[in-house]
Amino acid sequence: MTAPLPEPIPRPEGELERLEDVWRTPRGWRFLTSVNNTSIGLLYIGTALLFFVLAGILGLLIRTQLALPDNGFLSPGTYNQVFTMHGTVMMFLFAIPVVEAIAVYLLPNMLGARDLPFPRLSAYAYWAYAIGGLAFFCTLFVGLAPDGGWFMYPPLTGTKYSPGLNADFWLLGIGFIEISAIAGAIELIIGILFTRAPGMTLGRMPVYAWAMLVVAVMIVFAFPAVIAGTGLLELERAFDWPFFIAERGGDPLLWQHLFWFFGHPEVYIIFLPAAGMVSTMVPTIAGTSLVGRRAVIAALVGVGVFSFGLWAHHMFTAGLGVLEMSFVSAASMAVAVPTAIQVFAWICTLWKGRVQRGAPTLFLLGFMFIFVMGGLTGVMVAVIPFDWQVHDTYFIVAHFHYVLIGGMVFPVFAAMYYWIPLINGNRLSESWAKWVFWLMFGGFNVAFFPMHITGLLGMPRRVYTYAPDLGWNGLNLLSTVGAFVFAAGVVLFALDTVRTLKRKTQPVGNPWKASTLEWLTSEAYGNRSIPRVNSSNPLWDQPTLSQEVDEGRHYLPQTATGHRETIATSPVGAEPRYLLVLPGDSWLPLLAAAGTAGFFLLLTMKLNLLATLCGVTAVVGTLAWLWQSDRAVAQTEVDVGGGIVLPVGATGTASHSWWATIIMLVVDASIFASFAFAYLHVSMRLQVCPPPGSSLPPGEQAWLSAGLLSAGSVLVWLATRAIGKRRMPWLVLAALACALASFGVDLHGLRAADLAPSESAWGAAVATLAAYQGLHIVLLMILAPYLALRGWRGHLTARSRATLDNIALVWHYTTLQGIAWLSAVRLVPLLME
Amino acid sequence: MTNPNRASEHFFRRLLRAILPLLVWLLHFAFCYGLAAAQCSPGGLRAGGPDRMAMGAATVAALAILAWLVWRGRGVLGRPGEAGLWEWAAFLFAALSLVAVAWSSMGILLVAGCA
Repeated sequence: MTAPLPEPIPRPEGELERLEDVWRTPRGWRFLTSVNNTSIGLLYIGTALLFFVLAGILGLLIRTQLALPDNGFLSPGTYNQVFTMHGTVMMFLFAIPVVEAIAVYLLPNMLGARDLPFPRLSAYAYWAYAIGGLAFFCTLFVGLAPDGGWFMYPPLTGTKYSPGLNADFWLLGIGFIEISAIAGAIELIIGILFTRAPGMTLGRMPVYAWAMLVVAVMIVFAFPAVIAGTGLLELERAFDWPFFIAERGGDPLLWQHLFWFFGHPEVYIIFLPAAGMVSTMVPTIAGTSLVGRRAVIAALVGVGVFSFGLWAHHMFTAGLGVLEMSFVSAASMAVAVPTAIQVFAWICTLWKGRVQRGAPTLFLLGFMFIFVMGGLTGVMVAVIPFDWQVHDTYFIVAHFHYVLIGGMVFPVFAAMYYWIPLINGNRLSESWAKWVFWLMFGGFNVAFFPMHITGLLGMPRRVYTYAPDLGWNGLNLLSTVGAFVFAAGVVLFALDTVRTLKRKTQPVGNPWKASTLEWLTSEAYGNRSIPRVNSSNPLWDQPTLSQEVDEGRHYLPQTATGHRETIATSPVGAEPRYLLVLPGDSWLPLLAAAGTAGFFLLLTMKLNLLATLCGVTAVVGTLAWLWQSDRAVAQTEVDVGGGIVLPVGATGTASHSWWATIIMLVVDASIFASFAFAYLHVSMRLQVCPPPGSSLPPGEQAWLSAGLLSAGSVLVWLATRAIGKRRMPWLVLAALACALASFGVDLHGLRAADLAPSESAWGAAVATLAAYQGLHIVLLMILAPYLALRGWRGHLTARSRATLDNIALVWHYTTLQGIAWLSAVRLVPLLME
Repeated sequence: MTNPNRASEHFFRRLLRAILPLLVWLLHFAFCYGLAAAQCSPGGLRAGGPDRMAMGAATVAALAILAWLVWRGRGVLGRPGEAGLWEWAAFLFAALSLVAVAWSSMGILLVAGCA
């Protein structure tokens, strides 16, 4: 017997119009204020594809230069900038953003939500990326683009060998674009765990959502390492703190550890979303459910975890210990097992079903062929002696292009053929698709397969030219021809996309007869009503679902509060928990993002006054945006249908924003842990710690500092219990005084101990830990008056207390971090005695 | 404000139970790598190279825990259609981690010293 639907028909008059009004996308210039995931998602995807084309053009410049021996098309200096930007833009401005962008666009619809839980954060992340990324790309036109390779190894990128601003643009430009990626990751984790349609348990959740959940968690742990690394290298370049200068106790390998601790998971951060898309498309084109669905989900998680043990396989020639390398080599092979589970599941699904012929199918088959090839060469280079032979040769260039283009670009193209009908109901041309596919597939293999051989013949990567008598001429010319054929395929695809998007809007329907919710009718507000889901293939197993949802017979077919809203559900069982009220469109995220981008880029150019102005704009913009949030609405409870009455909003651990703050603090703690690792690493290189001539402040000062921090936390805890009372703001300001006094004690101690950060890497590492604590104290200096002001203006009540609860979390974290750094700097010398 | 219908789902308990094998792998990897790196660096240099006995002991402990987790989860094989995602995940992770720990510990038997 089927359960009755939550809402009756006919629906009340004017209900749909009110829903449309609240969610209407602004037109003209005001479109830039839009924060809806559909608008931001499309802008985000479009911008990421623009960077794909731009970086692709750089790739063609590289291939033109290498087409012939002794070619003078590009000068050596320009060539260095071009190949560095090709890699950097492809990885940081195309690959990561495009996978997040597709998720921002697709996930809410696939999960049955009206939007992601923090739409303004998505808008901020997008604009920071778009403005910062385009400005960063423009450095190429004035000869200031980075030129040290996409992984920026010191000492080459230190001031001694790279004195210009080029490396600084990489460090500051990419550093903050990573912050944007982290913002996106927090948004996705909370969106996936808190806003799924009722009944969509974790077991029924689409595999794509699983993949994005794993990827977002990986971003949270992997990106902090490179943020810390870029911070250290920039400190070295700006203030001569010698983290990577061996003569002063630094170590260039420290950079490699930090970079690859991010860089290897990064490969899977790019591949797993593609794998998730493949696991969504393959069952549709085969017309049958995914074989081994639970094993595929487990494999995604397994790959995500194993990928953190592989970083050092990029460093097999760097002089690590043999035993360490053997662990990493074995782990690199072990990761092939969960990857293979997925590949076999796709093959079995295709085998089991009746495969629809069409463009997505072509690209999916192309993906499997190319990716498996790349995976096999991956196992080859995991074998240490083989890696010693081919390290830094074109064999590696071939390997990672097979993995990345095969594992990510082909699935993304399949995804575009598959999901573009969602935009205006029109499919891309099937006849053009055959041309596009064969040009791309053929061109790719012609371009990159010969590189395996040029690599084995000894051609090093990154050389700007080569002598004619080395036997590489024909292979290089072939690669160049292939690259241009591949590019022709991309151009044809772009033309077809423009043509298709200009066509008249059609009803979207379900063109591939897919099973997932994104194929329900969707407008700016998402679906007319939020569906109840009973299976992992809802559109197949609930055949009338689409009609019922369109008629408004499922949950929340209206706006219950007069604001944008969606249903927050429980993380495991997806049972409705509360009504999540969402913010509307605003200029503020754009303003804050422009300020952030301006701050970092102008700081790089040493235009300090302008940079400060931009920084102030970013802070004021963000505070103004936050000021409008966390406001109680008139209703305390609403009926969402089916007899379910939900509270409006939630507080404390029930609230999505509380968990988002926790994730942000995990990122923060991971950055701190990376700095602590840097301290440990440089300490372990010493015979005596602290090194001769250096010392730490006396222990009593550390106790005093930790005591003051703890007192601050106690006062903030008291403030959380005094909400609505007059003493609350004063408690927070008193807590700030304690935090400031604590840092004053730290600084006084460090000055008295005469710690000179530029004299030794050890001193620099201690100073970095102190500076990171200082950064948090500055943050508290902004947050405490903000909180006090909110209290005085009556914007903190029992129902709207997230600002206080979340700032309290940041405060307690700062206390813990303070105690951790004070302990760590003292503990390591004790352990080394 | 909390929903009166709200029942605890034990999210973190379930998560921990499922990913426990992966955590064992991670800890074992971090311990062995960290010990080898520390005992081959100037600050912690150990005569004769890294302490392979300590690593071996850690490996035996990890393998024993993982073998037990595989044994505990074997029930899913008997009823493949009925077992839930969490049970499947716990079993697969245990099997994967067992293979991964055994495989990556081969080096301890074969390699001595830091060079």
